[in-house]
Amino acid sequence: MTEPLLSVRDLKKHYPIRKGIFNRQVGAARAVDGISFDIERGETLGLVGESGCGKSTAASSVIRLEEPTAGEVVFNGNGRENATRNADGTHPNDVTAFDDEELKAFRRGAQMVFQDPSSSFDPRMSIGNAVGELLKIHGMSDRYRRRAIVEDLLERVGLSGNDFDRYPHEFSGGQKQRIALARALVLNPDLIIADEPVSALDVSIQAEILSLIDDLQEEFGLSLLFISHDMSVIRQICDRVAVMYLGEIVEIGPVGEIFTDPQHPYTEALLSSIPTPDPRASVGGIELKGTVPSPTNPPSGCRFHTRCHRVIQPEGVDVDQDDWRGLLNFRESVATGRVDIEQVRESLTAGGEEPTDRAIQAELREEFDIGDSIGDEDLEEAFTESVRLLLDGNAERAGQFLEERVTTPCAQTVPERTVHSPDHESACLRHEGRASAEPNPADD
Amino acid sequence: MATESPEQFDQVDWNDLSRSGRFDLSINSIGMLVTALPLALLGVYDWRFVGDRTATFEFVGLDRTLETVDFLFIFTLLLAFWYLVLPLYQNPRRTRYYWKEFKRNRPAVVSLGWLGIVFVGGIVGPLVMNAPQQELLIAYQPPVFTSVVDTTPATCVGEVINGRCHGTWQHPLGTTNAGRDVFTMIVYGMTISMQIAFITTTIVATVGITFGTLSAYAGGWVDEIMMRFTDIILSFPTFLMFLLILYIYGAGLGMFIVVFSLFAWGGTARYVRSKSLSISEEEFIKSSRISGASTYQVIRGHVVPNVASSIITQLTLLIPGFLLYEAQLAFLGIGDSTVPSWGQLIAAGRSDLSFAPWIVLAPGIVLFLTILAFNFLGDALLDALNPEAEAENA
Amino acid sequence: MPSDQLLEVEDLTTTFGTDDGTLTAVDGVDFDVDTGETVCIVGESGSGKTVATESITRIIKTPPGEIEGTVRYKGRDLLAMPESELRDIRGNEIAHIFQNPQEAMNHCYTVGWQITEALQIHQDVSDEEARAKAVDLMDRVGIANASARFDDYPHEFSGGQKQRVMIAMALVGDPDLLIADEPTTALDVTVQAQILRLLDELQEEFDMGVLFVTHDLGVVAEIADRIVVMYAGKVMERGGVLDIFDHPAHPYTQQLLECLPEFGGTTVGGIPGTLPDPHDPPDGCRFAPRCEYAEGACRAGEQPEEIEVSPGQRVSCVHYRPGMDPSVVRNDNFEPVGGDGAADGEGGVSRADD
Ligand code: SF4
Ligand code: SF4
Repeated sequence: MTEPLLSVRDLKKHYPIRKGIFNRQVGAARAVDGISFDIERGETLGLVGESGCGKSTAASSVIRLEEPTAGEVVFNGNGRENATRNADGTHPNDVTAFDDEELKAFRRGAQMVFQDPSSSFDPRMSIGNAVGELLKIHGMSDRYRRRAIVEDLLERVGLSGNDFDRYPHEFSGGQKQRIALARALVLNPDLIIADEPVSALDVSIQAEILSLIDDLQEEFGLSLLFISHDMSVIRQICDRVAVMYLGEIVEIGPVGEIFTDPQHPYTEALLSSIPTPDPRASVGGIELKGTVPSPTNPPSGCRFHTRCHRVIQPEGVDVDQDDWRGLLNFRESVATGRVDIEQVRESLTAGGEEPTDRAIQAELREEFDIGDSIGDEDLEEAFTESVRLLLDGNAERAGQFLEERVTTPCAQTVPERTVHSPDHESACLRHEGRASAEPNPADD
Repeated sequence: MATESPEQFDQVDWNDLSRSGRFDLSINSIGMLVTALPLALLGVYDWRFVGDRTATFEFVGLDRTLETVDFLFIFTLLLAFWYLVLPLYQNPRRTRYYWKEFKRNRPAVVSLGWLGIVFVGGIVGPLVMNAPQQELLIAYQPPVFTSVVDTTPATCVGEVINGRCHGTWQHPLGTTNAGRDVFTMIVYGMTISMQIAFITTTIVATVGITFGTLSAYAGGWVDEIMMRFTDIILSFPTFLMFLLILYIYGAGLGMFIVVFSLFAWGGTARYVRSKSLSISEEEFIKSSRISGASTYQVIRGHVVPNVASSIITQLTLLIPGFLLYEAQLAFLGIGDSTVPSWGQLIAAGRSDLSFAPWIVLAPGIVLFLTILAFNFLGDALLDALNPEAEAENA
Repeated sequence: MPSDQLLEVEDLTTTFGTDDGTLTAVDGVDFDVDTGETVCIVGESGSGKTVATESITRIIKTPPGEIEGTVRYKGRDLLAMPESELRDIRGNEIAHIFQNPQEAMNHCYTVGWQITEALQIHQDVSDEEARAKAVDLMDRVGIANASARFDDYPHEFSGGQKQRVMIAMALVGDPDLLIADEPTTALDVTVQAQILRLLDELQEEFDMGVLFVTHDLGVVAEIADRIVVMYAGKVMERGGVLDIFDHPAHPYTQQLLECLPEFGGTTVGGIPGTLPDPHDPPDGCRFAPRCEYAEGACRAGEQPEEIEVSPGQRVSCVHYRPGMDPSVVRNDNFEPVGGDGAADGEGGVSRADD
């Protein structure tokens, strides 16, 4: 059994939030909250998610651009192969525990490519020197040797050796990204972390860069951690993909399986948001409403439950899934005081005379996509009652009331990882033992 | 061995390399060390072993004396050569680019020419021209091509036609009330102006950049204390301070330069700090850190060069202020009257303005032009040294 | 000439005076937009697509820019119009949204304030009315709880929400034409889908013509009715979205499509070569230096004239001239992998031996 090149276990990065004159810590933004994955030699792992899901933070914690809060990053490259754990359970190759010397050596084994080609080069340094700088830092003091190496490398990434003396502003975005690749490669690393390396580029240039990455990877047997928000890019380059949502990995598996048979609802939603170059397909699919919630105070249970289109209905309830989603959204809005009944009234008044309570209720149904009647008496009653409370100006009570009456297991239980096939795991309650209780088989 | 050509990155034996020596000085630093060392020795020699009245170069039979200010000046010239001029030569591509940008600004090119004259005049002039001597007999000679009533000068060097004394090429800009040649005095004044310009800039830049980057990178309470100290410096009544020192120790050019530049770096430091903070957010800093560079290497290699080119303008615009300050103090009579600065010359001629205006006008115009030139230069540098701005319009 | 077209652009040429001579960003481009339809201008960065749209309402700085040609909006020539009159149209009847909502907003004012300001520039309404209208607009573009968010500052909004606010701002004047310049490029794919859906709904609701600029053919396929493909300041090909996706006629369009993973993606590795120098474009077809089908005729004279290859689809390529054999460049392989590409009905399809 070969060991993976990189093995990340339960990695966490929390940013403390301080307040007041004494800078007391009042909370933490849990940007990365316990993620684990492995990268084999020569493999490309994609890390995908919306902005704010923590994928970039994960990358900078892995490579120790930022100090991780907790967890273990075992890097077995760079001549540190086949190390065994110490007696006390720590790993000698744990990057998070490296001292300065080891860290510097680690830099030769793992490099990074950044997103923004315009800011990733020092405008006052010729690109040859920018690439050669790494050699210099690692002790190659012979400038002619540095130059020879860099010129050769520039040619390999599709530029010319004469470009050595040119400055970043003389290159286009795609060319700069090639240079960035050269810089990442020059120390001959085992692992390259690419943080959205093509998302600032035109699609036609993206294709060029991606195929360059592919070629280089093959030639030098690199492992790649490829971060992107764009599933279609992931599909082109990755072997496996990990889907991140709000600091956690919700699904991880081989690219083919993830694309053809996504298990987690979030993955489904991500996939359906890829614009398909088929003009006959209408804008549609699963709409992921709203944005990623704040990592300071992530939702309880499954973190995706506030946006999940498959959110589970409690035992004994069987209503239209859209109504159920709408009802949960309504509950959430009322509970956080974001339903302004006065405004609803006002906007209805603008269209004519004073609206009846019924009209307001209808308006709310409309706004939250709740059907005219929810196919469940209890829930219907809960909804009408809460609207009545709202109309009475008793928003707080309405919130409490809804929280008591409208509940989903997704908000209460943290889903465990379910293994679907070797290598393919996801974390959704629908797949756990209770999955049989899934109320409505996919009817979207 | 990996040293065979063609050299390729994946054939480097790093274990072999990283054990090799890592002390690696650039040409520039070596040059600086090699040239600054004799200067330092000379300075020490002058300070410890040469009497107050003996000339520094007595030992080689030269009658030349170097003041502290001169030592400082030469030192800054060396700095400028090794770290400003030489890099321009080493990076011809970038130099050409800067020059292309700079060239667009015509007034700035003219200004640069003018400052070049002042610079060369200031360095070479005193070496080839004798210091102006007091010769009361030929006082108040008019400049060439002009004439004055022949009662003004004691004796007229040039021709006297119709009762008017005409100027000669012997004294192209006329002479002062003590018969000193105004042109020679102006050339000597160039030295002073250049000394002020170079030394103040060096002090302000060094202190400002060091203070600013340290403050930015230290962060926390160190940053807090350093910035509050900067506030104090900024609000310090420098002029009063200078007067105080003047009354206690007497005034000298060195004193002027040191006092004023030591209280002038506040703005620079603040600017450098905020600039460093914004630069350190850039991805190229991240990628440098990821490459294994130490904080010192990052600052020295990326932060300082980027900060420096953006404060060059600010520094260039600081110089005219110092020149004016010096002139004003001299004019008010607060200053060392033995220093042959333009200000002193103007001050000396002010009482004769009605009948011998050239004594004030000639240095006045030169001063004015120099200050103007620095301002134009600063503007042009701002545009030329900003490759990013260019890239955006492209 | 019947002016039922909402916008007609004819022979639009935009040049910039630079130190290195004149830069021609847009070189004699024609296109039109009808009420209620979405026209996409597609091209790589540097193709002049943004400049072309910004020339329509003259928001390009002149000088250094110089705009020539005619831009008829509802029959009136915008380029000949005095600035004051144009200002009434700009931001009112013709609205713009840009790529980067961050930069297009003023961070010192609340979002609501900025919308009401945009509103009050063009309409004489009281503060209360303006506020009510602004809240209504924010509501319509899908900002939850609009009245409460009215007084928030831009930094309190996410990227997607900012773009929604920008759209709300663009809608204040009930525009008849919306010019959207890469409005989703800076956004996440999920948010992009939201915004595209929103634009689709709004177009129907307001019955606007939309001129949409993008480099992303995936986006184009989702929203476009008609497509104009630009390269180096010239139009290469134009036509209905189905025509272009099913049987792209121009080599450049074909290569653009091949960059999409669904059409084969990485195997091709982009389009080799770079855009020509806009100071000194090549003779003949602009695409010739990068075109694998280029021949002598491509490298002389002007950009080839546009030739109709199917109703509404016109292409600027010498191989479609009468007497030439279009099958050289035709390629019937265009359909998304696994997609239901319609049969290529055009004749002269070569045996794909590439
Ligand atoms: S656990 Fe519930 S909320 Fe979370 S993804 Fe599964 S169904 Fe959706
Ligand atoms: S005209 Fe010639 S160069 Fe241009 S696209 Fe057609 S074949 Fe290619």
